[in-house]
Amino acid sequence: MNGLGRTWRWIASPKQYIGLFLVLLLLAFPLVVTSPFYIQIMIMVLFFAYLSSCWNIISGYAGQLSIGHAAFLMVGAYTSSLLFSNLGLSPWIGMLIGGLLAVLLGLLIGYPTFRLRGAYFAIATIVWAEGLRKIVENTEFIGGLKIGGAEGLTIPLIHHSLANYQFVNKTYYYYIMLGLMLLIIYLTYRIDRSKLGYYLSAVREDEDAARALGVNVRKYKLMAMAISAFFTALAGTFYAQLLLYIEPVDIGGIALSIEMLLIGVIGGRGTIIGPIVGAFLLVPCKELVRTYIGTTYVGAHLVLYGAIMVMVILFFPQGLERPFRRCYLGLARWLGQAERAEGEGR
Amino acid sequence: MEIYAQAIVNGILIGSIYGFTAFGLTLIFGIMRVVNFAHASLLMMSMFLAYGVTRTGVNPYLAILVEIPVLFIAGYILQRSLIEHVIKREPGVREPMSVLLLTAGLLVLIENLALVLFGPDYKMARTAYFGATFKLSGVIIKTAWFYGLIATLGCYFLVNAFLKWTRMGQAIRATGQDRDAAQLMGIDHYHIFGVAFGIGMALLGVCGAILVPFYYVHPAVGWVFGINSFIIVILGGLGSIPGAFWGGIIIGLIESVGAQFMNATWTIVVVYGVFLSILFIRPAGLFGLRQEW
Amino acid sequence: MAILKIENLTKRFGGLTAIKTFDLEIERGQIVGLIGPNGAGKTTLFNAITGVYSCEDGEIFFNDQSLKRIKPHQACELGIGRTFQVVKPFGGSTVLYNVMVGSFCRVNDRRKAERKASEVLEFVGLWSKRNVLGKSLTIADRKRLEVARALATEPRLLLLDEVMAGLNPKETEDAIALVREISRKGITLLIIEHVMQVIMSLSDKIAVIHHGEKIAEGVPAEVAQDEKVIKAYLGDEYVFSSSERN
Repeated sequence: MNGLGRTWRWIASPKQYIGLFLVLLLLAFPLVVTSPFYIQIMIMVLFFAYLSSCWNIISGYAGQLSIGHAAFLMVGAYTSSLLFSNLGLSPWIGMLIGGLLAVLLGLLIGYPTFRLRGAYFAIATIVWAEGLRKIVENTEFIGGLKIGGAEGLTIPLIHHSLANYQFVNKTYYYYIMLGLMLLIIYLTYRIDRSKLGYYLSAVREDEDAARALGVNVRKYKLMAMAISAFFTALAGTFYAQLLLYIEPVDIGGIALSIEMLLIGVIGGRGTIIGPIVGAFLLVPCKELVRTYIGTTYVGAHLVLYGAIMVMVILFFPQGLERPFRRCYLGLARWLGQAERAEGEGR
Repeated sequence: MEIYAQAIVNGILIGSIYGFTAFGLTLIFGIMRVVNFAHASLLMMSMFLAYGVTRTGVNPYLAILVEIPVLFIAGYILQRSLIEHVIKREPGVREPMSVLLLTAGLLVLIENLALVLFGPDYKMARTAYFGATFKLSGVIIKTAWFYGLIATLGCYFLVNAFLKWTRMGQAIRATGQDRDAAQLMGIDHYHIFGVAFGIGMALLGVCGAILVPFYYVHPAVGWVFGINSFIIVILGGLGSIPGAFWGGIIIGLIESVGAQFMNATWTIVVVYGVFLSILFIRPAGLFGLRQEW
Repeated sequence: MAILKIENLTKRFGGLTAIKTFDLEIERGQIVGLIGPNGAGKTTLFNAITGVYSCEDGEIFFNDQSLKRIKPHQACELGIGRTFQVVKPFGGSTVLYNVMVGSFCRVNDRRKAERKASEVLEFVGLWSKRNVLGKSLTIADRKRLEVARALATEPRLLLLDEVMAGLNPKETEDAIALVREISRKGITLLIIEHVMQVIMSLSDKIAVIHHGEKIAEGVPAEVAQDEKVIKAYLGDEYVFSSSERN
């Protein structure tokens, strides 16, 4: 029973190889489906899967419902874009700096706000995020630095290069986003099984009980906020580099915050793949609805989101991840039995 | 000096209307401990309804007669069919988060349904009150705002009287204070919740009717007043209608007087800043119920 | 050696004095009972010891260390564990998960926490229910879980708040046995209880609190005959604290 054998058995068990198979599908996708239209849709799927997973860390695991997360995207996007436009600093580095700034912002806001419970916290997040957005919207220049105000910022198109985080082909963006998504899944998985994860769940369920068990509630909420803010900001840079244009209402607006929340809740808060499931279910629907009837009926895709949200809260309060997981495990079990029937035992 | 008098008067007028938009929200919270996130979109719908009424050529304020029953019934049904279902699932919890999420979902649904049905264009009701003003000792008063103030005060006293002196009103207050005790008294608290929600919505309905004569109607209009409503409710203290009234006045004054010194967006930022500060210093608000924080 | 020393403790809530010049000394290894009519200030005292409330006057020493300005999680780290009168299980998580949160107070590794939690669950007799969700437990098991969780934090002083409330006679017997086992492990116990025969049989000594003041202290036999105590309880119905609302 050597380590390699155990690893092989782990990979070969249906539970894992279905997952690996799905990852392989995602890796192969842009090589098979070359239409930029569909690649763009998948980029948005991965984007929201990533975003909602970041949101999930503070709002799902720690249970602090944030409706202002788009502010972190905005911080990330503006930081890397301004550094790139004005100092020529590679957006990758700008991205990390944006992440750190977002952490600072998150800690600054979190420290006084985490005292508030439930709805009050949520409302406070809306207010400060909207306030920040309005400030950015209203600021044309800081000193000599052009912020752009409501007009937004254009990111200079220099040339296709990794260092510039600019690519001619959408496929590059696809793989970056896929990488980020896999990263956040792994991170969530590690948190879920760690002391941090257990403590956050305890905080979510009952803060007083958690305190009596030695949990420094404030410290752990701030930790969750810091992690969530950092990774959310990374997506801000991605978005900026993808569109080469950012404006406050798009990237820092409440619509985006709500969308992150909807996907996270519909998928399943406090679970590892809940937000992923949510994004993979909702975003394709949204993009297709938007493409085919969205021009005549603006907002139709959000009607869909709202309706699904209401249904989920009424009938699947734990999120759609639960029935999805049951199907997945059922399939795994069926495959496992089928194998055993063929004589391939475990 | 006159400019400031004008700004103050305007601030009080619009502030009282802001406060009015928060009455329903604070009442629902006080009785049911539910934060109705769909509030903004419901206000928007009530404005569309009032707008529809004005298109028939009738005096816009008569829309109140339509709004009250329609929105009351809608509210009652909404509460008993959807929200109740979710509340029942978490019997021990005083402030169920799922209701918050449910109403958030409703917000998205209703707002975008309106967008799909009515289109994004801004509509303005062409009534006799549009742009009408009158002068009172050197200060120009917008007629529509003035009627808004009257309606606000009227409803304020009516609702307070109702809660204090009618049996239903007392039942509502009792349920709000201690729903278990109320249940022991034979009060069906789910029915009471329905009534309370209905009243909250009816108040929104009246709001819609008084806003339409002077404000644009469009699917996103809820957001203009929505965030302010939440700020006012918390500022004034959740569950307190007087608090909502005075909270509204404060916001109105900050906006109106502040506009003399900075542009409109910055006044909003100031309002948000004041709100956040108060939230951290005195979360219970001005007249807040004694809550366990 | 005194593990807990409460000196002249006073706690006020606005105009109401919930605890008034309260003194108590608990020796290591003792089982001390705290009784008194409803609203006398017993749970308030627990809250003061664990740092949930800060007190205007007086001091509390735990192993000669002052607990002034301490926060609840720090109290736990120092070795003071507590249960809540109205139990607070993590309903959406399994029993094992619940107890692991307690274990994580002392270890950082998940496997170690799981091992330690399993030991605690065996000790209290909940091992067979380790995968049951907190919200699906019976009252007796919830109380047991509450104790298990607190035990997982390896307390040296354990504050039990009405763990017997709502239990039938058989469950009460099991609970008493468990308390004795805990004491045998060397953990000092301070127990609030309304069930008289339980507290009388378990305690080394009893303190009686009424309107925030200590009106009697001594071995159970003494306290049972103390006039002041009898007066305080006269007219007070024996209350079954079975309201398990959160």
